[in-house]
Amino acid sequence: MLMTLPAGLALGSSYALLAVGFTLVFGVLRRVNLAYGATVMLGIYGALWVQERTGGGPVLMLLIVLIVTVVIGIYVEKLCFAPHSRRAAVTSMAASFAVWMQLEEVATLLLPGHALPFPSPFGQASGLDVAGFRLAHLLALGCALSVCAGFWALLYRTGFGLAVRALIESRQAAACAGIDVPRISALIFVLASALGAVAGWIIVGIDGQVTPMFAMWATLKGIIAAILGGLGSLPGAVAGGLLLGVVETVAQRSFGPQVRDLCSYLLLFAVLALCPSGLSALWSAAGASRAAEET
Amino acid sequence: MSGPILEITGLAGGYGGADVLRGVSLSVERGSIACLLGPNGAGKTTLMMTLAGLIRPRRGAMRFDGREVAGQPPHVAVARGIVLVPQDRMVFRTLSVGDNLRVGALRQAGGRRIEADLERIYGRFPRLRERRGQMAGTLSGGEQQMLAIARALMSRPKLLLLDEPSLGLAPLVVEDIFRLVTEINAEGTSILLVDQNVPMATGIARRVHLMEQGKITFSGEPGRLPEEELVERAWFGRLAGNAATASREEVG
Repeated sequence: MLMTLPAGLALGSSYALLAVGFTLVFGVLRRVNLAYGATVMLGIYGALWVQERTGGGPVLMLLIVLIVTVVIGIYVEKLCFAPHSRRAAVTSMAASFAVWMQLEEVATLLLPGHALPFPSPFGQASGLDVAGFRLAHLLALGCALSVCAGFWALLYRTGFGLAVRALIESRQAAACAGIDVPRISALIFVLASALGAVAGWIIVGIDGQVTPMFAMWATLKGIIAAILGGLGSLPGAVAGGLLLGVVETVAQRSFGPQVRDLCSYLLLFAVLALCPSGLSALWSAAGASRAAEET
Repeated sequence: MSGPILEITGLAGGYGGADVLRGVSLSVERGSIACLLGPNGAGKTTLMMTLAGLIRPRRGAMRFDGREVAGQPPHVAVARGIVLVPQDRMVFRTLSVGDNLRVGALRQAGGRRIEADLERIYGRFPRLRERRGQMAGTLSGGEQQMLAIARALMSRPKLLLLDEPSLGLAPLVVEDIFRLVTEINAEGTSILLVDQNVPMATGIARRVHLMEQGKITFSGEPGRLPEEELVERAWFGRLAGNAATASREEVG
């Protein structure tokens, strides 16, 4: 059980990045981006396409995944979100569903085939063990956590981060305070796409392959982790992602791959039944009662 | 530079399809307090939101500081110096008091200047300094109103739009707010104030604009209309006001 913890946290920290990206877009725009996983998948396929022709190393792959994902992210924003900002939220969701289908089609035309091998960025390390733990898992966990820490610093130490936090709380008040809401919303897509790109690069790196199912899979994991944490809460997204990763890994090791997805839905059901507003309600309720005692 | 800081003519528009504003014309003199009165539904808040760029007007002209500004987006309005303190205060409840104030200054690049402005604001609002680390949602109503005004000051406004700052506050707090408004004005900021507290609002305003059914029906110095009529028309509109006057005349 303890031995699966690093593997679970490695997977979970990537889920956390996906969930944070999903939550950023939802928090700032109050809209669901169904094309999120497809955006990341096209980035991964793009990197594989380049690698087939030039044979680049893992860092070049990451760079291409990042660039393609961010460019496609901007495309999704310009097509599905920016023009509909004053219409009903479902307009953007439906539009992003259509773009999801489109992006998935482009990816499979780019590189046909059911499962494509993806070179592990932690290749040389994948066989090695440190104190009984797979080194690859520790490296993946380290990567995801440092990206998370960098993102946190951006959010809590910079003016841009302050504008984002203000915008998540209220678009109207943010506009009154002089924040350029359309510009920050577009930048949020860039940031969310970059986080998703790193997460996707780590996940397919651990798995060693990518399939056309990745788009739906990544969107689902992002949404489940975000809902587990409490939709709209960034610390909740991280907690939800880590929990989901650990539960899935334990389930897979104990009962096999078929039970893994079943367990993630069971987890979602249990959390929503016991704590309907997600994990973040646990500490924000504690914070609220602390504040009430002080006054 | 002299002349009005804000001059609007024939402004029409509103949310969705219907025009709430039906040709509004008024001006605010540079360095003065102007007061906008009118019954609920007259369009006062719609006008304030249109001035702040939150609603695009369909017709009409809007000159601010000698420049045509109708249809500007809200962040441009703030950068040019038109800052709105909205009706329901709209502080960022989950952000700390200090962060709330910093958001107001994000347009002013340069961290050092922001911190200097912050010190100035804390000097004026010692209560906010005491609570700077606290989440804004835990403040009392009066403190939240102070915070909303302080945040607007962080944007260095030339024209401050205050939409019902005394709404729902205790009388002593209302006096504080009105004293604060006159102080801000004395430092050179022009102010357009919407408030239902007619005696206090007219007490500090140089000009009064009365708005009824999407139009300005009276503009002038507060003394030019009897306070009774002003109160009646500000609360109930012209028809109700006439009816009230008429019935009193019958009784008298």
